[in-house]
Amino acid sequence: MKGYILRRLGYSLVSLFLLSVTIFLFVRVTGDPAVLLVEPGASKDDLEMIRQQFGLDQPLPVQYGSFITSLLRGDFGQSFYYRTPVLELYLSRLPHSLLLAGAAMVFSLVVGIPTGIIAAVRVNRWWDSVGKIFALLGLSMPSFWVGLLMILFFSVYLGWLPSSGSGTLLHLVMPAIALGWVFAAAHMRLTRSSMLEVLGSEYVKLARLKGLPEALVISKHAFKNALIPVLTLAGINLVIMVNVAVVVETVFAWPGVGRLLYEGIAFRDFPVVQATVLLGGAMIVIVNLLVDILYAVIDPRIRY
Amino acid sequence: MNDSRSATLTLAWRLAAFRTEGFPVIPTAIIVTVALVAIFADALAPYNPELGTLGDRFRPPAWQAGGSEKYLLGTDHLGRDVLSRLIFGARVSMIVGFTAVIVAGFIGTVLGIISGYLGRWVDQVIMRLTDTWLALPALTFAIFLAAIVGPSVNNIIIILAAVYWTRYARVIRGEVLSVKERDFVRLAVVAGCSKWTIMRRHILPNVVNSAIVLGTLQLGVVIITEAALSFLGVGVPPPQPAWGLMLADGKKGLMAGYWWLTVLPGSCIMLMVLSANLLGDWLRVKFDPQLRQL
Amino acid sequence: MARALAILALLLLGWTAPLNAAPEGTMTWGLHVTLASRWLDPAETEALITPFMVLYAIHDALVKPMPAGPNTPSLAESWSVSKDGLTYEFVLRKLATFHNGDPVSADDVKFSFDRYKGAAAKLLKDKVREVQVVDARRVRFHLKEPWPDFMTFYGTSASGAAWIVPRKYVEKVGDDGFKKAPVGAGPYRVVSFTPGVELVMEAFDGYWRKTPSVKRLVFRSIPEEATRAAALKNGEVDIVYLLSGPIAEDVRRTPSLQLVPSQPPAVFWLEFLDQWDPKSPWHDRRVRLAASLAIDRQAVNQAETLGFSRPTGSIIPRAFEYALSFDPPPYDPRRAKQLLVEAGYPNGFDAGDFYPFPPYTSMGEAVAGYLQALGIRTRIQTMERATFLTAWREKKFKGLVMGITGAAGNAATRLEAYVTNGGIYAYGVVPEVEDLFQRQAREQDRARRETLLHQIQKILHERVMHAPIYELAFIWGVGPRVEESGADLIKGHAYSAPYEDLRLRKQ
Repeated sequence: MKGYILRRLGYSLVSLFLLSVTIFLFVRVTGDPAVLLVEPGASKDDLEMIRQQFGLDQPLPVQYGSFITSLLRGDFGQSFYYRTPVLELYLSRLPHSLLLAGAAMVFSLVVGIPTGIIAAVRVNRWWDSVGKIFALLGLSMPSFWVGLLMILFFSVYLGWLPSSGSGTLLHLVMPAIALGWVFAAAHMRLTRSSMLEVLGSEYVKLARLKGLPEALVISKHAFKNALIPVLTLAGINLVIMVNVAVVVETVFAWPGVGRLLYEGIAFRDFPVVQATVLLGGAMIVIVNLLVDILYAVIDPRIRY
Repeated sequence: MNDSRSATLTLAWRLAAFRTEGFPVIPTAIIVTVALVAIFADALAPYNPELGTLGDRFRPPAWQAGGSEKYLLGTDHLGRDVLSRLIFGARVSMIVGFTAVIVAGFIGTVLGIISGYLGRWVDQVIMRLTDTWLALPALTFAIFLAAIVGPSVNNIIIILAAVYWTRYARVIRGEVLSVKERDFVRLAVVAGCSKWTIMRRHILPNVVNSAIVLGTLQLGVVIITEAALSFLGVGVPPPQPAWGLMLADGKKGLMAGYWWLTVLPGSCIMLMVLSANLLGDWLRVKFDPQLRQL
Repeated sequence: MARALAILALLLLGWTAPLNAAPEGTMTWGLHVTLASRWLDPAETEALITPFMVLYAIHDALVKPMPAGPNTPSLAESWSVSKDGLTYEFVLRKLATFHNGDPVSADDVKFSFDRYKGAAAKLLKDKVREVQVVDARRVRFHLKEPWPDFMTFYGTSASGAAWIVPRKYVEKVGDDGFKKAPVGAGPYRVVSFTPGVELVMEAFDGYWRKTPSVKRLVFRSIPEEATRAAALKNGEVDIVYLLSGPIAEDVRRTPSLQLVPSQPPAVFWLEFLDQWDPKSPWHDRRVRLAASLAIDRQAVNQAETLGFSRPTGSIIPRAFEYALSFDPPPYDPRRAKQLLVEAGYPNGFDAGDFYPFPPYTSMGEAVAGYLQALGIRTRIQTMERATFLTAWREKKFKGLVMGITGAAGNAATRLEAYVTNGGIYAYGVVPEVEDLFQRQAREQDRARRETLLHQIQKILHERVMHAPIYELAFIWGVGPRVEESGADLIKGHAYSAPYEDLRLRKQ
């Protein structure tokens, strides 16, 4: 077991190393940040000066070397655009991202779990269809469109909710729905298959044989066990949400890391992009690692 | 030999059994309709979708005050006919969606089978690559690729395929791991079949179901991602009509009351993606009710 | 007599009362840009107009563009040039203080210039031999050689070198500390700043010019245009920047809201990259002229900026020093067609790629549509801004570019970038233009220099080197609580300013 975990840890480090090289090169071959920090008609001198300040006049291997060595010291460098330490920026945005992802997760589970149970238990075809379509709708509409429609309806037309920004719980409602709805279908699907599996298992059959009412069997015995894989997926999705909220954050001017990254890309703010992608990647890698280890503990047959 | 034939037979039998319970008739009809519209776009569209006159901009649909028979579904910000753009948009969106899914599915399935069956260092290399790929958020990755390869329909397909092959690779590899332990594969090994033959004849037919299910579900993801890329300004280049691009362009008119510019392409996307998902869900249940990873 | 005096006194009081009234209320902006920390420090001012949006609130300059003119004395109460053009002397205002109470001294001026590393820093430091602190309120800039553009670079938004920071404070807290808690001599001081998200400022009652009327200013970044407009309609913000097309139309139709254009020095034009290739159809002046005549500038203007932009026949903004203005070419599709036939392209031709400056894609589509109507077929290429600018600069484009720039400066600086050998975006150069440009750069006499620069602009116009489209109007939406938004008070400035002149409506 210990060897397995160590090996997996090693693989994760390899992945992160590959990621660091990939992102380092990607961000550099696609544009020059200096041209974005000045008006298009600015002079050559000004461009050269900016490149020197950022160390962009150095050869690539040298740049990568200094990037990695400072990274190992925990220094992610200074943002080109903001001119403040990147880690500071990232940490100031992360709580907002986690808050949004958490709220979105609550919404997606509130939609996904009941619809999934209804689909598995097949109490009523009509409710099954309605639930399924509602859960799938979130996946079927581009989130920027959902977001703008909500702003139009709830902010401009009804005047109930603030259109953008953060600060109060009311600010959180629309972005959380726009983001969480996308994930509702995944949670519905897993709840359904997980419920079906549990409902087919021996001990549920036993409970039924004992003559317990169906509602009790479902709510007490089946549901509890079916929930475990759903919550595991929710854990993974929480991390994914933090990383894919770009569009929703842009529409609602939500100050999360997704927007930080997107604007970082738009401005070719190399340190910001490198840091957000690496930290986000690290989160995903760690969660995947934990899940794999968890499964290995649960099911000893699995050996990768 | 026998095994592969039986696998083909199973597939045929399953296809024949499609008409059994719960077959999503409406979603399938929608997908077929969209496909037909895409194929016969030239005959169906009343106007050139890429040309308009600024004087005719923001004409509402025919039934609304100010609308005319000339433009049944109104015009956009450059005075182009929305109906024609929707019709040709079906073509662009379908080409992008289907091709990207097929290319991604092909790459992912092949790598998944190789990785799962050969194991050892090949598996290591492919899986580490997949991990790295997955650690990059899809949209971030797509934006970068768009910046590198430049905008065009072909490149959007390449980008979407490059971003989404990993899901197939992971799932298929998992399937292969269990399939390769089965008796018919062991028998084939004993019978002296080459690795390639085994992968092609014995493994592939047994995982192709999963690839189809995954592909159907991914069709929706790809179409939505195409729209998101347009929103971020790196999608299908104008003036070509694609539903995602129309939606992203039309969003500016939302507040001014030009609802047809977003609601129409948005509804097309929604119906298409919803149909693909309903069909995919049904296929998933048909093929393997226990399937967890999809 | 006594009564008359009393009335006079009352009148005077009535006049001065609003000025002395304590600042009240909050004015909130929805910005199109992401608030960067570097804008809090004038030393990092890049060659962009955007930082000045923040600088005008927090900091002050010796001399800066104001409603009174481009080089209005501010922290300096006066300035003068020596006869030989080698020495510029500035006399500081007595009452000017920083937010922490320190007086603004000549020492701070020298310090601010020395630490300046933003736009045109190299140029300025190459030209200035020494900054001499004469006494606490007097400072002299000695140039190496006479340089007629000194005040164009030092005293306008072409650089941030004249914006003064407190030496003692900066030395105490360091550069990073300064960006976290900046102290300036401007009308507002920073209360809180969240990079990329929000900047909150409060009126500084010790500001020398006047006490601001609005108590709090809040800048919020709202990148999505539709969301910005929604926030304005919803009353969450009072002013939003950069509206266009149907969103602007909607704001104009809303009775409580106002649409206000400002006129930054930004011109759109069509660049014929292939004109230097003798084999290209664009090599023929008639073809270029045909393309220019085929564009209905007013219709594009109407669609994109609701008619607020100003069609033009020159790539140099009319407001620039040394600019020579030309009427916009008329919309004349028949003559355009005729020219094309004369040039030997009766059926038009395939002109390859068309690169509109991102994000102005829909405008590019409209322009490409007019060319298509003439028979000149193009393919629109949309790109992200970084990729676009890099590719343009590295001369990787072929075909057509629809460009825009709002760089500050004068006609000479603008021409340099696009039509001279030293220009980073010049794909080819007319020798005569290059020669004239070199001569004007050495010319000390203003009138003669103007003649040379006008000559260049005439040549460009006659050769139809570009198809200028219009001077872009930068459109704002203004909410019902705002009485004075500060739009266009300072000529050529895109944003609200001066902030101390803004007013909210009395409730």
